[in-house]
Amino acid sequence: MEQPVPLPTPDDIKSLVRPDHVHRRAYADPAVFALEQERIFSKLWIYVAHESQLKKPGDFVRTRLASYEVLVTRHSDGNIYVLQNRCPHRGARICMVDRGNSKVFSCPYHAWSFRPDGSLASVPHRKSYPENFSFDDPNNHMQRVGRVALYRGFVFATLNDSPEPLLDHLGPMTEVIDNLVDRAPDGEVEIADSSFTLEYRGNWKLHLENAADIFHPSFVHSSSVAPARRAPTNASILDQDQTRLMLAANGLGYEEWEGIQLNGYAGGHVYMNNIYNQGVLVSQTADPVAERYRAALAARHGAEKTAQILGMNRFNNIIYPNLVVNAQYQQMRVTIPVSVDRTLVRINCFRLKGAPDEMFHRAVRFLSTLGSPASMIFSDDVEMLERCQQGLARDVGPWIDFSRGVGQESRGADGQLSGAASEMPMRVQFAAWVNYLTAEAA
Amino acid sequence: MLDYATQRRIELFLLEEARLLDSGEFEEWLKLYEPQGIYWMPSQPGQTDPLNVASIMYEDHAILSIRVQRLLEARALVLTPMPRTTHLVSNIEAKEADGGEFTADAAFICVEHQGERQRVYSGRHAYQLTPHDDSFRIRLKRVALMNCDGVHSPMAIPL
Repeated sequence: MEQPVPLPTPDDIKSLVRPDHVHRRAYADPAVFALEQERIFSKLWIYVAHESQLKKPGDFVRTRLASYEVLVTRHSDGNIYVLQNRCPHRGARICMVDRGNSKVFSCPYHAWSFRPDGSLASVPHRKSYPENFSFDDPNNHMQRVGRVALYRGFVFATLNDSPEPLLDHLGPMTEVIDNLVDRAPDGEVEIADSSFTLEYRGNWKLHLENAADIFHPSFVHSSSVAPARRAPTNASILDQDQTRLMLAANGLGYEEWEGIQLNGYAGGHVYMNNIYNQGVLVSQTADPVAERYRAALAARHGAEKTAQILGMNRFNNIIYPNLVVNAQYQQMRVTIPVSVDRTLVRINCFRLKGAPDEMFHRAVRFLSTLGSPASMIFSDDVEMLERCQQGLARDVGPWIDFSRGVGQESRGADGQLSGAASEMPMRVQFAAWVNYLTAEAA
Repeated sequence: MLDYATQRRIELFLLEEARLLDSGEFEEWLKLYEPQGIYWMPSQPGQTDPLNVASIMYEDHAILSIRVQRLLEARALVLTPMPRTTHLVSNIEAKEADGGEFTADAAFICVEHQGERQRVYSGRHAYQLTPHDDSFRIRLKRVALMNCDGVHSPMAIPL
């Protein structure tokens, strides 16, 4: 099944991206995908877990890193390790659950057992192994992945042995992680146990582009906007009108587009300001839950800093290559590429420690409304991403257009600014994409 | 044990719900729900908490009516072409509950055909039913999808 694909050359990659157009091969060529796995998902810092999932020694989560399945573990030495989920003995997958706690990981085949740092703890019938068989030999350990680094509870890993410092990679995007954590009156967030994983039959970049695309909601989500606008306000007994407001808010018109600002950075990171600022998770003076929450936050930070924290109104903060954080709504999405035309999107929400329980209930509600498989929003997005892939898979065109707003950006010291109607975010993402894919040859 | 006639009326009520979904009569389907009725599809096996644990759907009449209007909108992308479904409901066990109400448990299979693909959903329904005229209204329908915690593609038609 697995066939070696000749990887595209740097010149080949450069030839796929023009200032305002991209060649369909960027989405549809398995060789390009193989190079992305090697140069992007194996070289950059990739989010793998949240520290709140790894409180006690033995806690672990199972996830993917590039083309590998890995376990992110907390060992008794207090450190977090990322291990290939594979027994070095015969190659079997060891762990078959997504999370849990285990003092040892034991291979069910011949019972080699490993500690959460990957080291070999025991083998049955030791004396039948050769005399030079060593427990200290890393070849007999669950293989550790290159590097692990944390930023305020967010655990990143990379297969790169000499990565740039995590802070350099995150750049200005640390602000949104700070903002999420600062929103917790106790100064800490916990990731919710429940999440959704959606699959779409399309390239991973389509999701990132869609998350930065403020132009599409009026069209793609019109079938939800119209019924939500017609529906009576505050009719639901469950959610303080949260669902209806979210659906209705997708009906952005020219006026809303004009007020939104898009920000793009050289590393491929993108976020938008002032897109959606409604519903019970954001400031509403008449809401007793929000008042209790604001009081708790003010007790920690004081009134001025509290206003500053709650005033950060950013949506879809996209940390290249695959993490989307919405601090204001306590949400996060992770894009996981599976193949050139198959992608998983894992959707999580956070609990703000020290905030009223109702704040978490509202975040859970937001998660379901936006990210459930039955979502009246994301399902239409997925349908559109799949239709794009279906078109891009055919060798016609072959150029697709990202020219909207080209030349109208303003350029700052470390990034670009544009209005909402601009396709600047996609141009920024593709400029970074070329840099990453061609970096070693430069 | 319920008398045969009541058991049969509950069975016919569940079958009516399945038929209305299959024939695309979503407004009629919603009328089977109490004004405060809830449709709940958990995301975790054995989930009891709809507030702290995310649900695939946890919607009351007001949200369901937005969903129904959307199902009737010709423009919904995920509904073009409109999926066709066969909802099968079986193994129906009804019981009397407090206050003249009834509960009903059932197994379901739903085959959904759309464009080039076909999907199969299965699991168990748990109903809380209130008598209404000579039929019933749904106070709560809990849909325990067999693969609720799995990897999903978008779902369009209620199960």
